[in-house]
Formats: sequence, structure tokens, C-alpha cells
Amino acid sequence: MKTTQLGLGAWDLPWRKQGGKMTRSFNRIKRSRVAAGLAAALTVTLLATGCTGGSSAPNASAAKPAELRMLYTTDEANSAAVASLVPQFKEKFGIDLKIDNQPYDALQQKVFSEFASSSSYYDIVVVDTPWAPALVQNLEPLSQYLENGALNPDGPESNVGDFIPKVFYDTAVYNADSPIKRYPDPKAKPDVSTIKSAGFDVYGMPIQSNVAVMAYRSDLFNDPAQKANFKAKYGKDLTVPKTWDDYAQVAEFFTQPDKKLYGTTVMAGVGDWATDDFKTLLASQGGDGTLADENGKPTFDTAEGVQALDYYAKLAQSGHVPPGSTSADWGTTAESFGSGLTAMTINYHDLKLADNVKGGTIGYAPVPTAKAAGPHFGTWMLSVNKNSKNKEWAYQAISWLTAANQQTTMTAKSLHPSRTSVYSGIKSDNPLAPFYDTLGKSLAEGVGRARLTNYTEVSHEVAVAVNNAATGAASPSDALKSASEKVSALLKSAGY
Amino acid sequence: MKATAAPSDATLTVDTSRRAAGRATAVPRGRKPLSWKKLSTPWVYMAPAMSVLLLMTVAPAIFIFYSAFRNDKILGGAGKFVGLDNFITAVTNASVQHAFLITFGFVAVAVILEMILGFALALPLAAQTRANKVGAALMLLPFAVTPAVAAMVFKQLLNPNYGWVGYYLGIFGFPKGIDLLGDPTSAWIVLVILDIWQWTPFIALILMAGLQSLPGEPREAAMVDGASPWQMFRHITFPAMVPFIAIAAVLRTIQAFKTFDSFKILTGGGPGESTEIINLGIFRVGLQSFNVGLACALGVVFLIILSLLIPFMLRIIGRRADPEEM
Amino acid sequence: MTTTSSTSRGGAVARVIIGRTFLWAWLLIGLVPLVFMFITSVKPAGIANQIPPAWIFQPTLENYASVLSAGGGKSESFGQLLANSAIVSLGATALAIVVGVPAAYALTMKDFRARKGLSSWILSTYMFPPIVAVIPVFVFAGKLGLMDTYPALIIPYAAFNLPIVVWILRSSILQLPYEIQEAAMVDGASTWNVLRRIIWPLLVPSVATAAVLTIVLSWNEFLFALSLTRSGAKTAPVGLQQFTGMYGTDWGNITAAATLIVAPILVLMVVLRRQMVAGLTFGAVK
Repeated sequence: MKTTQLGLGAWDLPWRKQGGKMTRSFNRIKRSRVAAGLAAALTVTLLATGCTGGSSAPNASAAKPAELRMLYTTDEANSAAVASLVPQFKEKFGIDLKIDNQPYDALQQKVFSEFASSSSYYDIVVVDTPWAPALVQNLEPLSQYLENGALNPDGPESNVGDFIPKVFYDTAVYNADSPIKRYPDPKAKPDVSTIKSAGFDVYGMPIQSNVAVMAYRSDLFNDPAQKANFKAKYGKDLTVPKTWDDYAQVAEFFTQPDKKLYGTTVMAGVGDWATDDFKTLLASQGGDGTLADENGKPTFDTAEGVQALDYYAKLAQSGHVPPGSTSADWGTTAESFGSGLTAMTINYHDLKLADNVKGGTIGYAPVPTAKAAGPHFGTWMLSVNKNSKNKEWAYQAISWLTAANQQTTMTAKSLHPSRTSVYSGIKSDNPLAPFYDTLGKSLAEGVGRARLTNYTEVSHEVAVAVNNAATGAASPSDALKSASEKVSALLKSAGY
Repeated sequence: MKATAAPSDATLTVDTSRRAAGRATAVPRGRKPLSWKKLSTPWVYMAPAMSVLLLMTVAPAIFIFYSAFRNDKILGGAGKFVGLDNFITAVTNASVQHAFLITFGFVAVAVILEMILGFALALPLAAQTRANKVGAALMLLPFAVTPAVAAMVFKQLLNPNYGWVGYYLGIFGFPKGIDLLGDPTSAWIVLVILDIWQWTPFIALILMAGLQSLPGEPREAAMVDGASPWQMFRHITFPAMVPFIAIAAVLRTIQAFKTFDSFKILTGGGPGESTEIINLGIFRVGLQSFNVGLACALGVVFLIILSLLIPFMLRIIGRRADPEEM
Repeated sequence: MTTTSSTSRGGAVARVIIGRTFLWAWLLIGLVPLVFMFITSVKPAGIANQIPPAWIFQPTLENYASVLSAGGGKSESFGQLLANSAIVSLGATALAIVVGVPAAYALTMKDFRARKGLSSWILSTYMFPPIVAVIPVFVFAGKLGLMDTYPALIIPYAAFNLPIVVWILRSSILQLPYEIQEAAMVDGASTWNVLRRIIWPLLVPSVATAAVLTIVLSWNEFLFALSLTRSGAKTAPVGLQQFTGMYGTDWGNITAAATLIVAPILVLMVVLRRQMVAGLTFGAVK
């Protein structure tokens, strides 16, 4: 290390004077100390390597801890729903579940820095799909736990076969040696042994499944006056749009300044949400909605990509979306729709209307399609920290939390379930039944993100391109080409 | 030599008599070699402060110089030495060059405008009347507002659908629902206005002190000689104000390079990348994408540029404001 | 005042009028954000973001109550965040003063040959951009387990303000007549006693100035707090972000929280105006 040169010479004087006397006695002490130190180090190393053998089988009779610590989100993955299960958890297991809630950015930093320091503080960590490729090496592979009968007393209820296949494979199934790979058969019913024999493993249990869903003001769509006007103007019936062209048309119709109404929203601000808007459109044009292939090459600068971005830019500039849409994000669009400013919206959770929106009712439908369907989806999963000292109990905790019964209970707090049986079990008198119906259908069609360790950087470049096209600062094809070059450079520097 | 003892010495002599016995009394400097104690005492007093400063400046600088040559990511494992790769990326990347350029542009524009407006505010407020005391206090209020809070409040005011600015501008004939943050030019104007709103009082205060310290005779003499206001300003007021202008300008410039809060909250670097100043860029690369190596390289480049620019400015303040040298 | 020609007097009046008009226009417009912030914070939930803005309504404190309470999946209450801000600001100030006073004194000692160089070096550390320091501090705080603790903020804040604190204190010491020190030293007082009994009492006003400066700048700091805290030591300016989320912005709450952050500083402004002015202009204005 470079020593500073700030005239600290004055400090040296006293030491130098007494140095001779000191070094002699120091040497004597040194030798015996060193020997003891080596012995200690050796013992510790032996113990450590013995304890942290990564591939040791889970011990079904591991000691039960007094508490388990979980790192979780705030609203993003519905922390209130999980919090509501804590008393029940204590009853069932006799363990205190301590949950630490963090908002998204702080959560990501905390998750990464906990793993970077190999901390064993949190037994359970919530992981969002964009982070998983970089974190896979730090998550405990769960196949051995899933196959251990003693650790799965609730049998069929907690088995993985019940998870929505596409959600499960996109969220939790990774090849640790090559995280960029996707499981080859995403529609097959999940089965642990099949997954293992394909060279993959399970790294978490999906809990909150988000997918792009369209919400609309059913009161406006059912209003006889509106229906008559629409028929007069376009010569067909007013229905909830199923294609993007219909969507643009309905948005045009519902832009009614006298009612302070706009057609719909777009989230064109610079951020992951803009990338998500774009990839939904891209997938529906038949393009690759994951944005990059398994060789680490960007796949969005194509004819479909330009078509998708062109549509998006036209919509953003059409005046049929509220002002400020080119800086909008999830929160802003939810606010726009919620305050009655727009007739439709595309977002990732159920929506509520403010009190001053008189007579407003909300309906839900899958997002429009064109040649194909591919709404963006991303699911949070609960994973076991590889460094945790209570892995067996942590596994049982997450297995229980994501079991069918518990997910059904959490739907009372609007959790987005990840299990097929939960969706079919939603009763029709559930106030959110229409939302869950659409959610379940959309999840089955969803398209996830490319599994890149530097996905956030890639997403940023795409979002910049989307924003530039939306504001008109660049043409869609130029924006995509520039983003593609930048992304290629990013992927190369990440080692792909 | 001054030899009179101050009366309060009575409390001091008792416990220091032992030391006094072995110590020379007032001796003209330079005649006798300084004792070890005299040499080390200032260093002992400096040590805590220096440790704190070294810890937060030199130590981080060492780290970033070291990391800039590697490609460590926050998840560690083994980063490896990558030589000049990070620097090459940092210097040749168009976004980075853009970031540095707009940072310097912003600092220059903001500081110059603030100096001019600060002067315009200081002139009427210089006279020490009661009304001016109230005025000065009111003027200072924006300066007391936490920058992060100010940025948040501005953001709400500028909301195209619900903000006051959009609404009242609409009354005055601007297009309804104008999104000032969605267009690069207007976003920049907003950011500069926010900076001006917050920092002009700072400049005005310093300039006010300068104006209030001006001696009256030269002005009176000039008026007797029939000098025009402009001549008075140019030959009398302005030259006397130069030290204050210098301090204000240099301090404000150093602070302006540190701007982060307002940009992060108001635009987050958007629209596109048009307001991503270098501070935001380093934050995003280092603490959101966790590319520590590249972030450190950017930091090194930034530090080098500042090291060339600032000492030049510091010499100006040092010369004009150091009481020892005045 | 001696007489001037009528045109220049007329010109003088015009200039004064323009000057004062500009001043009052500036003050009025400049206060709008603060007025907005305060008014919105006392609006009931339904009309907080109503357009056209509601000027006549029944003020309520419900936003403040909501902000100061915890719960509902939020990790900490805003009251806790304000407390954290206070702890960190006061801690940083204490640290800065405790190490700054001796250092400032050392830099005035006539026999200290390095003092000019050190003064320059200390002042130059003021230009070190915090963004460059935050990454190493982030990495090491993580490694040392100091992430999200008070010291992780207190030490950097003290360091950021130390150059100016030392500068202010040093100028003040230099303005004390040297005879006082000399007399004491002639009588055999050690430097420590000179500092403690002679200089310190005279230095208290400057210390107050420097302290006020450090408190305000630490209270307002955002970058380090954003990067180094999660929930345990999170400060109020960072916590302000939590009122904007996936479900939109809670206007009443966010302005109430903003008012709570700004209020203590405004109170300081009123109570300690001279110190605030002196401190925030880094001693340039006495």
C-alpha cells in the first residue's frame, strides 16, 4: 500500500529511538505466538471445511432455531400478505419469523451486499427474476430438500407440480454452471427428478407472480351513450380490445377532453418498466420477448422490434395518453388510472379507483395481442441463503409459505398466487375474482427476461431507446440499433 | 517582546510550574532548536482531524485507483486485473463523454446565473434597514430547505396532471398538461431553476456582506466628482467586491460539482440520458449495476479533472481570504 | 449626501425601484414551493392533489399522524427516521468539533512549519466529490458489518464538513490577539491549557457557527444516506421516497413528511439566525 507523504516523518522519531530494544523482545514473543496462531488457524479451517460442505444432504432432524430471519420487499411483493401469515407460522412451527421489509432499490443493494459478504444473517431471501442469474451461486439448490419426504410433511399440497409451469421454470429453475440457459420444456408439469436430469435445479419457491394485465373502466365500456358514439364513429361495437390495433382505436375514442379523459397509459419513463412495455409488444409481434438469446446476443433489433417500438412511439405521441407519460412509471400510471384520468391501463397489479371517481368500476382482461401473445412477467421467489445455519427449517418455512393453502389465505390480501390449484380455487364471490381470472390466464402466456447477470444494465439501455422513441427524440429503428450496439458491448464485457 | 502577564494566569501557574522549570521562557524564534515537544504538539492536535480526513479522502482514493484496474463486481468472488479496460471504456464511451460535458455545462451556467442574480438580490438588500432584515430572512428560506425535499416538492409542482405549475401555466396560455420534465430542454431549465432557487441566497448573502463592508469615503468622493452609477460600480464597488465574489464563486463551483439530489429525484437522468450528469452515472454504474471496476475508473477520471480545475480556483480564495495573508 | 444632477437622481430612483421590484418578485415566487408544501400537507386526503387546487378547505393533521405512525408493511415510521437524522447530525457535529478545534489551533501555531501546506491540503479535501468516496465506503462498510449503522454516516459527515469547520475556527483563532496566548505561554502554560482555558471560551461563537453548519448539512445529506442505509439508520430525506411507490404518490403524506424535515431547520433559522448565516456562508459573513 502506498504510504501517504504528509510529513508524518515526525511521528517516526519516538519509534525509531526505542526500536532496537523493542524488536528483540518482540521476536521472542513472536515465535511462540506464531506457533499458537498457526495451530488455531489449522483447526478453524478444518472445522470450517467440514461444516460447509456444499453438497451435504439435508438433515431431517436438524435443530430447530428459535427464529428465522427473512429479507422481503415492501409493496412490490405484497409484504402485508406475508406479514399476515406470521402468527399462523408461529403456531405451526413454533418459530418466530422475523421479516425485514425493504423497498426495491434498497432491497437489491442489501441482497447483493449480504451475499457478497457471505453473511448468514438472513435465512430466507426474496429474489426478483432480474437478479437471479447473478445470485444463483449463493442460493441453496432445493432439489434434495424437495425430494426428502421427512421435510415435506404436507405432501401434495406443497409439491412443485402444482406451480404454473411457465412461472416455475422462468423463476426458479436454473443451471448453476450456465445461468443463461432456460429449461428446454417450459410447458411441462414441474417434476424435480426430470429437472435434475436435465442438468438444472430448483433455487426457490415462487411467491408473488406479476404479469402485465390490462385494466379498464367497465362502467365506461358499458355506458349506452359511449357505446352508441363508438358505433357511430367506427361502425362496430365497443368491446374490450383484443388486438393492439383495436387498443389504439379504443384509446383514440376514449380521449374525451370534455370529460377530462384519456384513452390509456404508457410507462415510457427511463426505467425497467419501459423495457417491460416494449418487450410485451415485441413478443406479441412474434419477436423474442426475452430480449437476448442463450448465446448472449441481443435479439430485439429486428423487424418485429421496430414494428413494436413504432406502435409504442405512435401511441405515446398520439395525445391519447395523459401528459407526462414519457416520464411515467408504475406508480404514475396507477395514479392516472386510479384517479379516473384514463379509460384503460396496463399494469402489474390490481387497481383501485379514488373516491372521487363516481360510479367507476374496473374490469380486467389479458393485454392485447397481434401475431402472438407474450405479456411480460416476472415473479418473486423465496430462496434459502446458502450460508444460512438453518437451511432445513428455512426450506420448510418457504415451502409452507408458498403452499396452496397459504397462498389461498393470502389472496385475501391480494397476493398474486403462483399455483394453478389456487387459481382454480378462487371463488366467484371473491371481489378480485375477475382480476385473478385474468392474472392466471396471462401468467400461462407470460414471457420473462433474458437471464443475464447484468440484466439491469441491459434493461437501462433498452429503456433509454424506448424513451427516446416515445418522445420522438429518435426514430424507432435508430433507437433500437443504438441500443443493440450498446447492449452487445455490455454483454461482451459481462463475459458472454 | 511583550512581557505583561494576563491576570488570569493565576489559575495556570500552579500545575504547570514543573514544566515551566524545564522550559525556556519567551525566546526569539529561530535562535534555539525547537524541542521535541514543540515539534510534535501540533501534530498531536492535528492527528484526529487528519485521520478522519485521510479515512474519507485518501483511503477511498487509494481504493478507487486500485479497483479501477480490476473488474470486481459487488458479489466479489475473484475480480481480475483488467489493465486499462475500464479506463478505455470510461474515456471512449459516448455516454460518459456526454455526462462530463453536461456536468461542466451545468456548473458553469448555474454558477454564472447565480452570481448575477445574487448580485441583483444583494444590492437592494445591502442597506441595513429593518425591512431588509425581514427580506434577507425570507430570501434565506429556500436555502434552508433540504435539497432532496426541494427536489421532491418541485417534482410535485411540475406534475403535468396535478401540479400547480402546469395548471397556472395553462391559465397563462401554455398548452394544457405540459410535461416540463419530459423534454430535455425544459428539463434542464427546470433543473437550473431549482439550483438557482436554492443557492442564489447563498451567493447573495456573501455579496451582501461584501457590500456592507465597503467603506463609504471612496463612494462619496466619487459622487462629489460626478461619477455616473456605472462608473462608480466599475471602478469603486466592483474592485472592492472582488474578494467576496471570488469566495462565493469558488465555493459555489465546488458545491455545484457535487450536485446529486436534485437530478436523482427530479429526472433520474431522463429524458433519455439527457440529464445524466456524471454523479448520477457513477451512482448507477457502481451502486445499481454493481460494476465497481468501471465506477471506480469513472471516479478516477472525475477526480483527476477536478484536481486540475479546483486548485487553480483555490489559490484565488486562499490568496484573498486567508486572514494570515491579508 | 452632496447633490447630484437631476437625471442621475431620477436614474437612481428608477434603479432602486427596479431593484426592489425584482427583490419582492423573487421573494414571492420563491416562497411558492414552501407554501405549496405546507398547504398540501394539511389538506384532507381526497383533495390533496385536486386540480384546480383547492384553496379553501378544512385543514387537518391526519397526514402528519399517518406519517409519524408505522405499520402496514412499511419497515419504519417516519418519526424514527427523523430521530435517525437527528442522531446522525448531532453525532457528526460533535465529532467534527472535537477533532476540528485542536486541528484549527494547531494550524495557528507559529512554530508549526507545515501549517500552510496542511491548511491548503485540508481545504482541498473539500473538493473531493462524495460520489467518488461513496463506493469504497459502501464496499468496506459492507465488509466490516457497518452497513446501516450510525457510524457509517457520522464519520463521513464529519469528514465532509471538517474542512470548512477548521477553516472557520482557524480564522477565528487568528483574529484573537496573539498577546493573550503569548502571555499564558510565558507563564508556562502548556498548549493544551492555552487551548482549553484561553482560546476555547473565546471561540465559542465560532464553534456555534461551525456546529450549526455541520448540523444543517448533515441533516440535509442524501447521497451517503441513500447508499449506506436500509432501515436501521435510514435518515429522513431518504425516507421521503417511500411515499411514492407502485401505487402512486400520497400527496398529503409526502408533503407532511417534507414539512417535518424542513421544519427544524427553519426553526434554527429563526432562533440562531446569525450563526446560520455565518455558518452557511462558511464564515464569510460574520
